[in-house]
Amino acid sequence: MEENKSAVTFDRRQFVQLLGAATAGVAAFNLVGCTDTGTSGGGSKADTITYAQGADPRALDPAYFDDGESAKVSCNIYEGLYRYGDRDTTVHPALAAELPDITPDGLVYTIALREGVKFHDGTDFDAEAVKASVERQLEPNLDPDMPYATFVFGCEDDGYGVIKVDVVDPLTVQFTLRTPSASFLKNLAMALAAPIVSPAALEAQGGNISDNPCGTGPYKFVSWTKGAHVILEANADYWDKTRAAKTKNLIFQVIPENATRVTALLNGEVDIIDGVDVSMADQIRGGGYTLFAEDGMTINYMAFNTESGVCTDVAVRKAIAKAINVPEMVDVLYGEFATAAISVMPLWMAPFNKNNQPIGYHPEEAAKELDDLGITQLECITYSNPRPYNTKNGQVLAETIQGYLKAVGVEVNITPYDWTTYKSKVQTEAFDFCFYGWTGDNGDPDNFMNLLGDQNWSMNVARFNDDDYRALIKKGLETPEGPDRDAVYLACEQMVIDKQPWLPISHSKNLCGVNPAIHDFFYHPTGDVFMWEVTKDA
Amino acid sequence: MIKYILKRILMVIPVLLGVSIIIFLITRVLAPDPAPVVLGEHATNETMAAWRTEHGLSDPIWLQYVHFIGNAIQGDLGTSYYSHQPVTNEIAARFPATAELAICAIIVAALMGIALGVVAAVRKNKPADHVSMIIALIGVSMPIFWSGILLIILFSGILHILPSNGRVLPMLGPSGGTGFFIIDTIASGNMKALGDVLKHLLLPTLALSLYSMAIITRMTRSSMLDTLSADYTRTARAKGLKERVVNLKHALRNAMLPVSTVIGLQFGSLLGGALLTETVFSWPGIGKYAVDSVLKSDFPVVMGVVLLVAVVFVLMNLIVDIIYAYLDPRIKYGKPEEG
Repeated sequence: MEENKSAVTFDRRQFVQLLGAATAGVAAFNLVGCTDTGTSGGGSKADTITYAQGADPRALDPAYFDDGESAKVSCNIYEGLYRYGDRDTTVHPALAAELPDITPDGLVYTIALREGVKFHDGTDFDAEAVKASVERQLEPNLDPDMPYATFVFGCEDDGYGVIKVDVVDPLTVQFTLRTPSASFLKNLAMALAAPIVSPAALEAQGGNISDNPCGTGPYKFVSWTKGAHVILEANADYWDKTRAAKTKNLIFQVIPENATRVTALLNGEVDIIDGVDVSMADQIRGGGYTLFAEDGMTINYMAFNTESGVCTDVAVRKAIAKAINVPEMVDVLYGEFATAAISVMPLWMAPFNKNNQPIGYHPEEAAKELDDLGITQLECITYSNPRPYNTKNGQVLAETIQGYLKAVGVEVNITPYDWTTYKSKVQTEAFDFCFYGWTGDNGDPDNFMNLLGDQNWSMNVARFNDDDYRALIKKGLETPEGPDRDAVYLACEQMVIDKQPWLPISHSKNLCGVNPAIHDFFYHPTGDVFMWEVTKDA
Repeated sequence: MIKYILKRILMVIPVLLGVSIIIFLITRVLAPDPAPVVLGEHATNETMAAWRTEHGLSDPIWLQYVHFIGNAIQGDLGTSYYSHQPVTNEIAARFPATAELAICAIIVAALMGIALGVVAAVRKNKPADHVSMIIALIGVSMPIFWSGILLIILFSGILHILPSNGRVLPMLGPSGGTGFFIIDTIASGNMKALGDVLKHLLLPTLALSLYSMAIITRMTRSSMLDTLSADYTRTARAKGLKERVVNLKHALRNAMLPVSTVIGLQFGSLLGGALLTETVFSWPGIGKYAVDSVLKSDFPVVMGVVLLVAVVFVLMNLIVDIIYAYLDPRIKYGKPEEG
């Protein structure tokens, strides 16, 4: 018995010692210079800002990425010939000295370049650098892994874009286009494909400078720990002192889980988070943090199959549209974080017509018309993942619309797919209507309105094949910016209302959580985050 | 023994071939076409066709497999569709993070699991036993994504004493070195960074070790109960040895045989990539990388990670068997002796 007692005493003591050791351990971690769980890497916090995003950049060479995470980092390292306005998508000179001189036929752009600009590796920025950056993305150099090259610079098969780039003199470059393109200038301001990279770095790194990016931007690359973070530092030799980086260190941290990202913000580990889920908005505000919510450049829509099935009849499409109360649905699903759409383009984008009259909610008319047309059942396919333009996911949206249609006597069969599978199914599957969306690239109306003119069904999921519409899109591209061009896109908008290939649903807002000590942060409608002017209180 | 080890190493080859065929078929035949995912919204049918041709996806499936396995044997697992970097480099950059977390987790799991298991067995059907078994039950039944989030909410969200994600504050991160941050910070004498690394390790280690700890606890208890009632234990008691000596030197040592197997296999699974833990804690290891790659249809990476996991499992099995033979001289390998 005495032996047993001794064993019990030992166990208890050991247990208490273990507990003590664990407590002391946590305390010790806190003492070893780590009482600050904050971002800024021990030391002066105001010198460092940490921005948390949901995924690792795909690449840090602008020719090799198509994702927002890469663009957010890259737009601080690189610059293009042009840049967007700080709060909108107007175009301003960046590495170009002024707006281009365009020939009357709209085919030749002559661009004067800024003098005295240097890349981060110390080499000069000049016309040869522009030529090298662009020509690597033109045929025959074009690599299929360059996802935005053909969007920005075009290609022979598509019949538009850049034919050649000529160096007129060290500070003048000339682009010759296949066809006139009013959106080309906006493309040159994009963070994807368009930025100018150091030719010396390209040569040294074998044509892809993702591992050691080198541009002319306000921040210089320091390191990239894959899957964890990218560290940048202010470029002390930046050419534009009025737009030089105001914070010494800038960190882009990868935190995939939405909830963990919010906790990291509230725990002071990071200063800014993006991709905030609507359900966490109150948690951010309640914690005393700022919720950034500004209009994004998106459209969330329901597309009717205009190629086959009952929805080829415009009367059926209009009757279905009348059964759905879009403003009510948007309010219920997305609350204050989305705006009900009345056309294809976001409300803030010129030349959006604020007087557009969508078909409206008329359930009695819808019920009668659908009954007259003999519509009792519809097939719907949708996606099951949240998307930037639909944070609730396509299935929730489909089920809501299923409810509206049931109220007018129409049953809807919904088949959901994960996003990857859905992108294939939407081109091949038979359906009456489906759900899709779009995040704009460059703020040009063509970038939105062209979706319904595209003959690639992965882009034009309504399979809307209308020659008149396509003629308008072509005219819009060829017409220089101004009232004539605006009129073209207003006509496109009206055609979408009249022919109803889509039922536009909503435009989402971009949501970010921001530490109140942060100043001058703005999440650009393009999805880029230009951090040069952002500061944090010490 | 050497003959046995060689035989086991040779057996690894068909296992890995089988794994490679299965994962190849899943990613190349059953999974959707990666081209639209990789090339993005603007991809046309022509650019997708060119991309498939460039990546050999237009070849017959058997030829694709021959190319894949031929290159894999030479250490070339292909290039990531997404990052355009060699898969071996991408995995090598992330594996130390996974290994460091797995080593810490298995140490914690083994120490706590054995301790709880011994207490439970020695105090069978008493409160200590019940408490140990409840802890083990929680560990086995609580999913890591849940326990991880609870830990984050408590220690980061409410108490604000531990970080919720990552391996180290970026500005303190050691550059170069082995990729094992504990070793790198000690080697560089950077105690501030070491403290931060340990602090970042604490929550993911705890979350990851819970399940393994529970398994080890139950195995230790069960094995200890057998050895505590064995003849040699009764003999030891009869000789008048202290209960502590009987429990630890006689019962526990003999009970460790199956426990060591479990520890070895658990370590294998942790090394193979703790998918959920790494995702919840934004731990930049191969588990999180594999999940991201599946979502992006980056199949060369998925195949590379799965092959690596298979190799790790097979190696851990081999090591466990060798340790088994070392711990228990009664175990012999090869043909049974004719009587």
